[in-house]
Amino acid sequence: MEHAFLDKYSGIDSPIHRLDPRAKVLGTVFLVVICVTTPPTLWKAFAAFFALEITFIVLARLPWRHVLKRWMIVLPFIAAVALVVPFLSKGGGSYNLGPLHLHGRGLLTLWNVAAKSSVSVLAVVLLSSTTPFPDLLKALRKLRAPSLLINLLSFAYRYIFVLVDEAQRMLRARDSRGWNGRWLWQSRVIGNMIASLFLRSYERGERVYAAMMARGYDGEVRLIYELAFGVEEIAFLCLTVLVPLAARILANV
Amino acid sequence: MHHRPAVEVKDLRYSYPDGTEALRGIDLVIEEGESVGIVGPNGAGKSTLLLHLNGILMGRGEVKIFGMPVIKANLRDIRRRVGLVFQDPDDQLFSPTVFDDVAFGPMNMGLSQQEVESAVKKALRQVGLEGFERRSAFHLSYGQKKRAAIATVLSMNPDLLVLDEPSSNLDPRARRELSELLQSLKITKVIVTHDLPFVFENCERVVVMSEGKVVADGDVFNILSDGKLLEKYGLELPYGYYPLPKETR
Repeated sequence: MEHAFLDKYSGIDSPIHRLDPRAKVLGTVFLVVICVTTPPTLWKAFAAFFALEITFIVLARLPWRHVLKRWMIVLPFIAAVALVVPFLSKGGGSYNLGPLHLHGRGLLTLWNVAAKSSVSVLAVVLLSSTTPFPDLLKALRKLRAPSLLINLLSFAYRYIFVLVDEAQRMLRARDSRGWNGRWLWQSRVIGNMIASLFLRSYERGERVYAAMMARGYDGEVRLIYELAFGVEEIAFLCLTVLVPLAARILANV
Repeated sequence: MHHRPAVEVKDLRYSYPDGTEALRGIDLVIEEGESVGIVGPNGAGKSTLLLHLNGILMGRGEVKIFGMPVIKANLRDIRRRVGLVFQDPDDQLFSPTVFDDVAFGPMNMGLSQQEVESAVKKALRQVGLEGFERRSAFHLSYGQKKRAAIATVLSMNPDLLVLDEPSSNLDPRARRELSELLQSLKITKVIVTHDLPFVFENCERVVVMSEGKVVADGDVFNILSDGKLLEKYGLELPYGYYPLPKETR
């Protein structure tokens, strides 16, 4: 069975892909924090954020189609804001659009949401498309993210498709026996399936734990981390820290 | 020299928390270097017995591995020496990449990074999966998963390899490759399976279990050619299959 992958294109070779994932994680977090705390009227700062991201996308040789497709997940949120806020949030002058009145403050809010969500999502798309997920987990571990959280992510990454496959097999088995889902009493079947899927996962969890114990697991996850900070990582971090900072300070002047 | 068998089980009894008596007094000695098949119907207690060999389960009675009693204080050492391969490779391969899985045991043993890397490399070469380090287990074929699962314990350099249903769900070629792999490993092996020809090919000795007890134990040919015994314990050879004494093959 075919599945979509979180870290598509993370296997290609480029200067960005080769960077220590820790640098990319830190850079991403920094860019997002600076961006969301920037007042929306500092247009030039946002231009700089986008320019920086576009530079990295080009350097990483990521296909634009892929980047845009991933970026599109913010569209529903922007659309929800666009349909309501510019009409209702009064103040800051108003513009007529046929029979509708658009308000300046509402438009600013729309820009604020659109720009910040886009910068943030692009930053995360960049991170996930240039870093294989296992490397990302290792980097987070190395950066001392809570171990429990990383274990959870790691098992989720490993077993989500196993679980999806199991669910699909159950659906097939159900449909093969003439289920049509037309009657209310048949909804019980779905409840039973969810329960059965839960039990199977629970039992798998126990077996996985036994397999971990069998290989000497003692509650601590050890890891080998091969990459180190070099000139490239420092240069990358300088860019992702200094450019947004400078943009924000200079745009204010 | 003091005699130390690889496995020594004396009057082992175990009941599951729900009260089911899974083992009702097992006595079993496996010498170093032996390959032993454990067969028997479902529910005979075969897998439960395996889980006692490295202390995942601990019942009443005595289990010794290379002379070491299976008690809490020895678990670390015992789990290094006993490589237990579970039936479902999706349970055995729980890490994001094949490398991480094969490295899991050696890292828990506290080996240095270099030692871990060379152990992983060696184990993957042994099972014919060089170059699969960065792959996710999800992208392996079933046969590859089974071999990767074996690599995860070979990397710990075990003295006793314990396999639960190694040949189940394998296509004939993967089954052949597995057989060749097992024969290339010159260590003590315990194989639990329903696949009698697989036992005949890979083991010299067979232990038949039924209802939590050992009911027969002996040379693989003598047991597999004893039609009455097999029938009594719900076992049978594939249609048209007649074992020949090993020497004549």
